[in-house]
Amino acid sequence: MPSRDALSFRLNGHPVELACEPARVLLDLLREDLRLTGTKRGCDLGTCGCCAVLVDGRPTLSCLTLARLVEGRAVDTIEGITPAQGLSPVQRAFVEHGATQCGFCTPGFIVTATALLRANPSPSRAEIERAISGNLCRCTGYAKIIEAIRAAAGAD
Amino acid sequence: MHLDPFELHRPTTVEEAVGLAHDLAGRTDFVAGGTDLLPNYKMHLNVRPHLIALEDIPELRGRSLARIGAMERLADIESDAALARVYPGLADAVGEVATPLVRSSGTVGGNLLVETRCFFFNQSLFWRSSLGYCLKADGDKCHVVPQKERCYATFSGDVAPVLLVLDAEVEVAGPSGRRRIPLAALYDATGDGIRRLTLAPGELLVAVHLPEGARGRRARYKKLRVRPSYDFPELGVAVAGRWDAGRVASMHLAVGGVETYPRRFDELTAPLEGCALSDTAVRGLAEAVMRKLRPVHNTFLLPDYRRRMVEVYVRRAIAEAREGAAE
Repeated sequence: MPSRDALSFRLNGHPVELACEPARVLLDLLREDLRLTGTKRGCDLGTCGCCAVLVDGRPTLSCLTLARLVEGRAVDTIEGITPAQGLSPVQRAFVEHGATQCGFCTPGFIVTATALLRANPSPSRAEIERAISGNLCRCTGYAKIIEAIRAAAGAD
Repeated sequence: MHLDPFELHRPTTVEEAVGLAHDLAGRTDFVAGGTDLLPNYKMHLNVRPHLIALEDIPELRGRSLARIGAMERLADIESDAALARVYPGLADAVGEVATPLVRSSGTVGGNLLVETRCFFFNQSLFWRSSLGYCLKADGDKCHVVPQKERCYATFSGDVAPVLLVLDAEVEVAGPSGRRRIPLAALYDATGDGIRRLTLAPGELLVAVHLPEGARGRRARYKKLRVRPSYDFPELGVAVAGRWDAGRVASMHLAVGGVETYPRRFDELTAPLEGCALSDTAVRGLAEAVMRKLRPVHNTFLLPDYRRRMVEVYVRRAIAEAREGAAE
């Protein structure tokens, strides 16, 4: 049997350590072992972006990341991006612009948009469209999501 | 979807990785970014009991105009301004691979070695068990071209055609040492969708090397796909050319996304050297490339449409390469 070695990494700013099988992907570890269910399982094959998290600040598909490979790294999920009180500027903009309908894809969009604005605080509309092109939303038609990210960037 | 259990190995040197792969031959895969391998593993396609992660091997990293480590992430290549300035075609192609999230993890080595794809292969275990398995996984017949000998799964990488027209070489490490081969020689032109590479068991792609001569070539890449935000290529055309006083000094053309390997057409482009490339000559070349390619019905778009688009995309790629060269 493959070994269930201890895995340790920083999760939302805090050190965690838990047993982890080699064949566990980060998404399952987060949702099932750590009960952080803000990160969503969409396609589970890397197409939809619902499972996006930040690994060392980099937007990453948690459904296609072997959990053991985040050993020693910093993982930030939607729970960590959300301030202890209230909402982050990106989250607030999503609420104010009606950029969320059923809400299932929203955590992935917030993660992607947060990473975009950290790397590029004033993205053009084209840069926003490109950055979110790996996140699928089946409700909004994207227009309000793009407006929200523009607003969070201070474009409006 | 859960992955079947496997043992995960984390070598820190190329030699250690190659040694492990040799010892575990037939029972292991290398995993780079995981964005191609893990979806296939989740669909229970050719799963192995051991995985060798390439994450911790420093030698597989590093980017310069002369060498790109196999583990370099596509997103990092895409955002490298120096690379994009010198190799605009590479930037085109890398930026068109899947989505930004896939490119964030996916690597250049992984894209060169991306698993060939087919309607009848890239399906869940349930789907495949219902129809009956195929040659490429668990079965003994092809559903695309019904017979039992040859797999028609399509090579679906975007980066290879551009690196082919730039005369890139790849560095390969194996149990018996290192070798450096032209990228074209990485792909088995006499193979099929299963026997698609010339790598021996246990061999590892270490890096891509770009020759001095690649620097002056203005390559472009044009990709046909259904959803521009993330689909694999239904056709990808790369062209690199040099023009001298309106005449072709050199031209190379490669096509991916149609057959089982990415293919360069030197026999069609070499005769154009010294010619002023008239619209008629471009059309003649485009039609000749089209006649050489034989897509089958194993991807979303119909083969006849993909073939006709070869002609269109070759023309567009040449026009763009020429425009870039005149800048």
